[in-house]
Amino acid sequence: MVLLSRHPWFAASILVVPLLTLAAPAWPRLSGVGPCWAILWLLPWALADGRRSGVLAGATLGLLLDSLHRGGVSEMPALMLLGWWWGRIGRLGAPVERSFSLGLLALLGTVVLDLSLMLQWALRSGLGAGSSLPGGAIDPAPLAQPGWHLHDLAGSGLKVLLARTLLTALLAPVLCSLQLLLWRQQGGGLGRR
Amino acid sequence: MPARRWLRSLALPSLLQAWPWLLVALALLGVRLSKGAGLSDAYAQLSRPFWPGTAQAEWLRSARRFEDTARIGALEAENARLRGLIGLQQASPQRLTAPVIAREPAGWWQTLLLGRGSLQGVSEGQAVLAPGGLIGLVGAVTPGTARVTLLTDPASRVGVWVGRTRHHGLLTGLGTPRPVVRFLEKDPGVVPGDVVTTSPASTLVPPDLPVGVIQTVDAVADPAPEAVVQLAAPVGSVDWVQLLAR
Repeated sequence: MVLLSRHPWFAASILVVPLLTLAAPAWPRLSGVGPCWAILWLLPWALADGRRSGVLAGATLGLLLDSLHRGGVSEMPALMLLGWWWGRIGRLGAPVERSFSLGLLALLGTVVLDLSLMLQWALRSGLGAGSSLPGGAIDPAPLAQPGWHLHDLAGSGLKVLLARTLLTALLAPVLCSLQLLLWRQQGGGLGRR
Repeated sequence: MPARRWLRSLALPSLLQAWPWLLVALALLGVRLSKGAGLSDAYAQLSRPFWPGTAQAEWLRSARRFEDTARIGALEAENARLRGLIGLQQASPQRLTAPVIAREPAGWWQTLLLGRGSLQGVSEGQAVLAPGGLIGLVGAVTPGTARVTLLTDPASRVGVWVGRTRHHGLLTGLGTPRPVVRFLEKDPGVVPGDVVTTSPASTLVPPDLPVGVIQTVDAVADPAPEAVVQLAAPVGSVDWVQLLAR
């Protein structure tokens, strides 16, 4: 947490994530789906500043992003977990610097984040796949239940996951390495053994 | 025999001399038999530069638009009067124009962010229209912005019907560019090309707003027959929308 304690104002850069999520720029898109900006910010921050800062940043990001979206699912648990994991990698192992490593970590992080969302929707959807009333009539109640259902998640949901994961992993080597360099120049990673 | 020789000696030179006139006669005969087709076509080609221009066609279209607008206005007024008589929701409420300041037409959440909020009178649940028809409902409002849940979002559910068959259904977003209508009857009898509008029985959205056109029908889908709908409004490229007061 050297970076957070020495330069707390750097943490304000976290606001770029909700702003980019809101702006949803049109150029980095794959099949209409944009990258996961939260992963692209959290990965270098957690690698540079450790577990506790990573968990805090993940929780803050989760709160910010959950406020922008409806639907009763949360990105916070997965982001906190990723912040902890990446902070641990940044402290214990050799410094993560190679583009391939950053891309791979971003890929895995996006998969974990999106799978956590899919799991929450699947649990909410439950067995609400629809049913028929006696006499062959259609029960409208399950049809009216909003949100991603199991068959939607298996179809278009999987496409969203793949597109977001691929795009985030492709952008990560460029964007994350620059941020990682910046945070390390500002004192991040001083606590490395 | 001498008479035949005399006839041959007289006819052959005459024919050789008169062949151009024979051709003219044949041409005239052709014109007559074709009822002047050649003449008409020749006249059409010659007079093409002087034909009525696009300006006149535009005048006609403009006049047609004016006539249609006036007729629609009269029909809407009549419809509102009749709906008022039977106590149904008004079909043509007031409209508020709003700019689209951010859009997310694909992904886990499919939304638009509008630059009008509760300070301008926007409230949750208002129907959002783009050129072509309904595109979504206002899902959340801040003082200065409104977030629209698009019809393609899996959280979107809107009551619709197919006017031709008078069968009701639930327009359901799937996360793809085309939502589906899940019908509440086992045999909706719809075919590709049928127009989908908001249900006259809906209490959430104004009735009879155009939504889209049915593309494909899956009559054996479980638990209800469903049809894929191509939305009438260009969701991905719209810059200004209209909000209907509830």
